[in-house]
Amino acid sequence: MTRLDTLLAGLARERSTGALRVGRSGTIFLADGRVTYMECAQAPSVERLLAARGLMSETALRRLRDDGGCARLIEEGPLTAGELQYAVLGGVLDAAFFLLPVSGARPKFRPGERHWLGGQWFFDVAGLVRECARRRTQLAEIWPSADVDLLPVRPLARLPGHGVTLSRVQWEVVVRADHKATPLELAKQIGRPAYPVLLAVRRLAAAGLLAEPEPAGLPKRGQHAAAGRPPHDPGAAPQPLGPPVTGDPTDLALLMRLKKALEELS
Amino acid sequence: MLGIDTCLAEVMSIPGALDAMLVDHTSGMAVAFSSASGVDADRSAAALTEALRATTDGLARSCPGDVVRIDDMLVTTDKGHHLLRLLETVFEGPLVIYVRLDRERSNLALARHRLQNISSALTTK
Repeated sequence: MTRLDTLLAGLARERSTGALRVGRSGTIFLADGRVTYMECAQAPSVERLLAARGLMSETALRRLRDDGGCARLIEEGPLTAGELQYAVLGGVLDAAFFLLPVSGARPKFRPGERHWLGGQWFFDVAGLVRECARRRTQLAEIWPSADVDLLPVRPLARLPGHGVTLSRVQWEVVVRADHKATPLELAKQIGRPAYPVLLAVRRLAAAGLLAEPEPAGLPKRGQHAAAGRPPHDPGAAPQPLGPPVTGDPTDLALLMRLKKALEELS
Repeated sequence: MLGIDTCLAEVMSIPGALDAMLVDHTSGMAVAFSSASGVDADRSAAALTEALRATTDGLARSCPGDVVRIDDMLVTTDKGHHLLRLLETVFEGPLVIYVRLDRERSNLALARHRLQNISSALTTK
């Protein structure tokens, strides 16, 4: 478990209500020990996504935040209660994917603080952590290298075959790709959560539709192989899993349990 | 007002419904599910998502010149019917309602009609 997971699990056990600010990376809002809202600097916020869909300007959303909140948003806005729930659900999971692996920032908890979009959906901390792990595995299964997550998206100028089918998000990525913007920048431009864009880009890479990275970038890979990778990448510098292992019998018992679990898996 | 957490109960009230699930098609995540014994919701959500993706791909190739937009997908097995309904939302999506129906006790036309009503109460599109 990374430190942020542990901290969150503790807050969940104590059924805390408030906001956990993780440096400049983002904020996690909890109510009664469950996560109600989360924002991360790397992923577009729910407000931003709603505005990007042309539903409402960000100014109008800010006005609603200060007066009326979610009830008025559903009443006046062009979206249903179900759609708002779905938007918050998607936004929180997207933020969690990028925020939970963050380490190094010193998180500060402010009791009592709430987010105006909180209260639409309640996540238990373990479930969030599990879903983020599932998403990391999903990305790695599609295309094992996380380099494409950070590099500018450069679709091939010519199709190597006669035809290809693209999903909706892939289409938007290809249309917007200017050979300079990275997947996360593209996500902000097209107004989609970042994770679906990462998925789309990795599928493009797996289909061989992206140009090879520029050779100038190659020597760097050897040096920074682990350091330059995003924390959600399986190839990133390993983060400590659980407590440090020593020779004492409790750790041995843990290792035996792990061994047994791994054997059962295979 | 129907929310995505409350709509599952509605889906389960369709005659013959055995179990139901809401799936986020983009990520393949099970958003909500009725607890049927022996079903691994995460795995079945991921697998159903792949099935839908493959269907979309197949249709895109079998009807060149068309933009494929699936409303619903129906699979009939020896034991029952499997209905998947895709909901476009203003946000991401599509959101997929999956319901497994008992072959003897269900009425397919009625089930599709009920799913349609549920989805129009759930979204604006």
